[in-house]
Amino acid sequence: MVDDLLLRTEGLSLRYPSGTLALDGLTVEVPRGSVGLVGANGAGKTTLLRLALGQLRPTAGTIEIVGRAVADDPIGVRAHIGFMPEHDCLPLDQTAADLVATLGELAGLPSRAARQRASEVLDLVGLDESRFRPIGGYSTGMRQRVKLAQAIVADPEVVLLDEPTAGLDPIGREEMLGLVGRLAGFGISTLVATHLLDDVQRVCDHVVMIDGGTLRHAGATEALVHRTGAVRVEVDEGATRLAQLLGAAGVDVAVIDDATLDVRIDGDDGRVLDLVRDGTDDLGLALHAMTTRRTSLDELFLEETR
Amino acid sequence: MSATGSPTGAVYDLGYRPYEGERGGRGASRAALVRVSIRRALGLRRSWRQKVLPWSLLAIATIPAVVNVGVKYVTRNTPLSNFELITFRDYVGVSTTLLLFVAIVGPDIVCPDRRHQVLPLIFARPLTGTDYVLAKVGALAAIVFGFSFLPQVVLFVGQMLVVPEGALEFVRHNAAVLWQVPAAVALFSLFWAALAVAISATTPRRVVAGVALLATVLVSGAVASAIVTAGGADPERLFESGSLWGLLSVIDLPLRMSDLVFLGHVDPASLVGGAEGAGIGVVLVYVAVVAGSFGYLIYRYRGEG
Repeated sequence: MVDDLLLRTEGLSLRYPSGTLALDGLTVEVPRGSVGLVGANGAGKTTLLRLALGQLRPTAGTIEIVGRAVADDPIGVRAHIGFMPEHDCLPLDQTAADLVATLGELAGLPSRAARQRASEVLDLVGLDESRFRPIGGYSTGMRQRVKLAQAIVADPEVVLLDEPTAGLDPIGREEMLGLVGRLAGFGISTLVATHLLDDVQRVCDHVVMIDGGTLRHAGATEALVHRTGAVRVEVDEGATRLAQLLGAAGVDVAVIDDATLDVRIDGDDGRVLDLVRDGTDDLGLALHAMTTRRTSLDELFLEETR
Repeated sequence: MSATGSPTGAVYDLGYRPYEGERGGRGASRAALVRVSIRRALGLRRSWRQKVLPWSLLAIATIPAVVNVGVKYVTRNTPLSNFELITFRDYVGVSTTLLLFVAIVGPDIVCPDRRHQVLPLIFARPLTGTDYVLAKVGALAAIVFGFSFLPQVVLFVGQMLVVPEGALEFVRHNAAVLWQVPAAVALFSLFWAALAVAISATTPRRVVAGVALLATVLVSGAVASAIVTAGGADPERLFESGSLWGLLSVIDLPLRMSDLVFLGHVDPASLVGGAEGAGIGVVLVYVAVVAGSFGYLIYRYRGEG
């Protein structure tokens, strides 16, 4: 049955023949859209992608991708999926136009339609002028675009992207993130596996965080970012005295410098903010600013995996 | 601009357009892989350099047939005393010149996929490792079949037109070759395609694979010949003095299978000629080589798809 879920796993485990446990009882549901799959190297991200593609059989549990149980038709499910691998995977003696058309044909498109689609998607990723040149002469950024183009040539329901910005310079990274961000607008869901949390924060509306093959967090990016928020307080010199006062009242405080401190507001922000206001008044400090400090995914990830 | 001044044309940014056309299933993906492999082998949609070799070899494989029937036609009124038309069985042997083609094209349709790590892209499509193996062997076998069969057609049609007894009589006398030629050429093509793809799958380097195939053929032939000769056979005239050691010669196997198709027994003037059980031996070793090649290939690509 096709439903609105991009990915659903239930007790998903995979142990490689070498004995390495890559995924350990992963249970998660994420809706269609742009989803970031976050984890350190070796966390199990690529393994999860290969399970979604039906290239690996789980040791235990089930996995569904875009509403289809992979176990029911592990080969046929790939007709609905585009895949952009992390590593170099392009034949250097072929042109981008030929390669993308070929891979479109292998996905089941008629030959003429595949050539037409290849032309369109290469235009879309900005390779209209150079698509008839051998890939061997392309820059890293251009090769990443070819990899993205081949992933969407057959108009899949979802594209699995494994570290799409790996090896790119800042400009190339911006361009790639821009392209990935546009896919949702084309009706193509994305599952972006990366260890670059900033990328996820930029283009994904949901995050799945895994570590050591187990789930650490799953939810909307915004909710995760806000969940452990804090207030940054800027005062005249005397932040340390304010911190001592707040600490005595049981508030979690981190002094950044003599004029700045972060105050945690977990779940009881009204009381804490009143304490900050009253504390600065009692100490005769000038309160310059109180701003909500959005915890980055990096901090959250470190906290969750610590 | 129109007379009213309003624009008559506009440029649209079409952006991304979903595909709503026809989609094939797994069968279409398999057929596409065969098609793509054939295109690559023949240099189609590639530069002219990649086209030179396959088409030159097709020409080389066909020339003897054209010359043979051409000479017969030119001398039809004054027949040459020592001129004989090439037999269809012999022409399967002429096709062995295609071994060079197989040694170059076999690695070319397999090795780059591994060398450039393209396999993850291929197996992200609805294809399995077995599909890949069958497509690669099938593509190469189809080309070798075509390149071996076409000269036979030239030979048949040419002889039909130049023989003094007339075309209809020629066809009546040679009706058997209408199944023998396709059968022998199919066995020949399957053998070389399976072996070439299997050897190519052992390495990501095309040169290494090509040299390995040629070395296998040449060394096995030399070793078999040496052993048979050492056993007392006259190398100049292996008439009924060959031995089953001749089965070691890889290059001879498809030709001896061709003997079985055309003659019903192996050619006595061969390394296995006259040996007890030579026919059965040829069939068994042929099947072992082809089955072994497929077995290795399926094992090699078992985890890919």
